Amino acid sequence: MSSTASRTNTFGVVPPRPALSLDHLGFAIAVLIGVALFAAPFATYRATRIASGEARLLIEALPIAMAAALVLVALGVAIGAVLVRDPLSRLGSAVIGLAVLLPSLGLSAGYLTPADNTFARVSPSLGFWLLSLAFSLLAVDALARMRLGPYGRLTALAVGVSALALLLLSGIWDDLSILREYYTRADSFWREARQHLLLASGSMAAACLLGVPLGIVSHRLRTLRIAVMQGLSIVQTVPSIALFGLLMAPLGAIAASVPLAAALGIKGIGAAPAFIALFLYALLPIVANTIAGLSQVPSAVVDAARGMGMSARQRLVDVEMPLALPVILAGIRIVLVQNFGLATVAALIGGGGFGTFVFQGIGQTAIDLVLLGAIPTVALSFAASIVLDALVDLSKGTPA
Amino acid sequence: MIEIDRLTKRYGATLVVDDVSFAVEEGTLAVVVGTSGAGKSTLLRMINRLVEPSAGRVLIDGEDTRAIPEDELRHRIGYVIQGYGLFPHRNVADNIATVPRLLRWDSKKVAQRVEELLDLFQLEPAEFAHKFPHELSGGQQQRVGVARALAARPALLLMDEPFGALDAVIRSKAQDDLLAIQRRLGTTIVLVTHDMNEAFRLGDRIAVMDQARLLQYATPAELLMRPADDFVERLVGSAERPFRLLSLIRVQEALEPGHAEGEPIAASESLHDALSRLLWTGRKALPVADASGALIGQVSVGGILQRGRPLP
Ligand SMILES: Nc1ncnc2c1ncn2[C@@H]1O[C@H](COP(=O)(O)OP(=O)(O)OP(=O)(O)O)[C@@H](O)[C@H]1O
Ligand SMILES: [Mg+2]
Repeated sequence: MSSTASRTNTFGVVPPRPALSLDHLGFAIAVLIGVALFAAPFATYRATRIASGEARLLIEALPIAMAAALVLVALGVAIGAVLVRDPLSRLGSAVIGLAVLLPSLGLSAGYLTPADNTFARVSPSLGFWLLSLAFSLLAVDALARMRLGPYGRLTALAVGVSALALLLLSGIWDDLSILREYYTRADSFWREARQHLLLASGSMAAACLLGVPLGIVSHRLRTLRIAVMQGLSIVQTVPSIALFGLLMAPLGAIAASVPLAAALGIKGIGAAPAFIALFLYALLPIVANTIAGLSQVPSAVVDAARGMGMSARQRLVDVEMPLALPVILAGIRIVLVQNFGLATVAALIGGGGFGTFVFQGIGQTAIDLVLLGAIPTVALSFAASIVLDALVDLSKGTPA
Repeated sequence: MIEIDRLTKRYGATLVVDDVSFAVEEGTLAVVVGTSGAGKSTLLRMINRLVEPSAGRVLIDGEDTRAIPEDELRHRIGYVIQGYGLFPHRNVADNIATVPRLLRWDSKKVAQRVEELLDLFQLEPAEFAHKFPHELSGGQQQRVGVARALAARPALLLMDEPFGALDAVIRSKAQDDLLAIQRRLGTTIVLVTHDMNEAFRLGDRIAVMDQARLLQYATPAELLMRPADDFVERLVGSAERPFRLLSLIRVQEALEPGHAEGEPIAASESLHDALSRLLWTGRKALPVADASGALIGQVSVGGILQRGRPLP
């Protein structure tokens, strides 16, 4: 009896996985949570926005009951991450963790700031960042294990964005340093946000408008393809700040000699060179992916289309482009994520965007201001990549 | 009827198709066989002008194909290739509807035609119409490929190794189905293969190609009995010859008066089948039945053996 049992095991019959078992990622998450709770400060207190910070441990940063509650919840999440396998439960515990952690940061800011003091600044410190990293990892991992379809992922994103918006609108975070920075410059924040979006998505749209047709033509003509790809690869190797610089001279000259160009806002510094540089960087991935997408269309399919009397235009529109679309969208995804990041550099030449806050903040050694520029940039890139990943899947999707 | 007239294709200095001429009668099936690289596909693709001939012409019912705009010509000619080239992003019904839609048939007529073809190819419309190519077996994909080529009722069908990717059992069934459909629709077919058995099984006439040239264009029986040269003789296979010949002759043609014992064989079956039954059962003769099942005579081992070689 026992010999048959051991034999089935040696022949690779996997016994059903127990509901409780150790999990490597879960173990790492638990360690993160432990360090965050007991070995790292939760918040930083500064007397003024540029004063040096004083670390505050969790027990100092929150009323004792609140701190205890957060410790209990975090420990619960840590234990669950190690022992529980079911992704839905893991996601649930991560969400509960975040739901306690995020508002408590706002409470901590109110608790640490002396009444009527508008100079003091409270910002999240290592402990908070580690905790949110641990909870987010757990949530993202659980979502990945649930293998959500494109609509599921879009829904998850929408839920996340709404929760964040709710936190911001509720005012619970208003005492945090980064929101203090925001409130003193709300107007310019939204202006730069608009500028950032315009720069990044506008240059991407322009790159698609030129890049997709260029890719289509290059796919047909070998000589053009080689020339285009080599030219664009060279552009890609120029560092961004150097490219901005390189564009300043010719655009300045154009602005000086062509009054119409100057009237349209084209000058050596400002948005125009930034836009053009982003556009040039965006071109390579779009052209390359258009060519790659078209060349992976099976030749038998194109041959059959031709044999049935589809004209060149019909073949392109009805067969080749739909089959190349997932690859082209993957290129657009790369470009958009890259552009949201690169657009930050545009501020250096007066192009505006979130980079304005980053570089101002660096200049003033005001880390909160740097974060005010950096966090929205990262969030935008993250959201853009989720949305475009979903679109790629949808464009592949032959409904089963 | 289609006439191939001194058709030639050159790529640079190399001749790929060299001065080939033959004609295919209305409603018959011509098979082009030959070794790999002989120029079979190129020849076939010159008929629908996927390849432009370097010289020569193709006449369809007397009309020079060069006088017809390319796309219009291809709408009128069905085309099936190895691998079928089904559109992976379109379901079975949309794949089949390709040419009718290019011809702007109204949507009701298209839907009707799709259903008709699915029925004809034994693909249950409710089950298959909305499946995508990757959800089909090889044999089902092959049937969809042929259905799509026949959708706009072309009078001419070109097939380039249409059964090449199928296993032996499915291939044999697909070949039978093709013959049945061809008889029913009266379509003229030019089919390329390098499988000699397939050529003998399907072809009313067989064109043998080697190194760009057409060596012989003849009925299967003629090819067996009077091969034009050594190459054709080797291709036909000397050892297989008597059996191939017997496969081409119906029992009807070797019918003798008299009565034999045993299970009757149908007059429409081949002498090859009859001989195999005789060998297996150890009898000297079999009774023969007509289509209605009535006994009409017998077929004997001696009678069959006389047919297994060229008649003097
Ligand atoms: N576009 C082309 N350019 C140059 N040579 C070509 C081209 N197309 C075909 N050939 C050459 O023509 C010859 C005949 O090709 P073809 O495809 O007609 O052969 P085939 O008889 O169909 O062979 P197979 O049985 O392998 O399919 C081959 O040697 C091939 O290399
Ligand atoms: Mg071929």
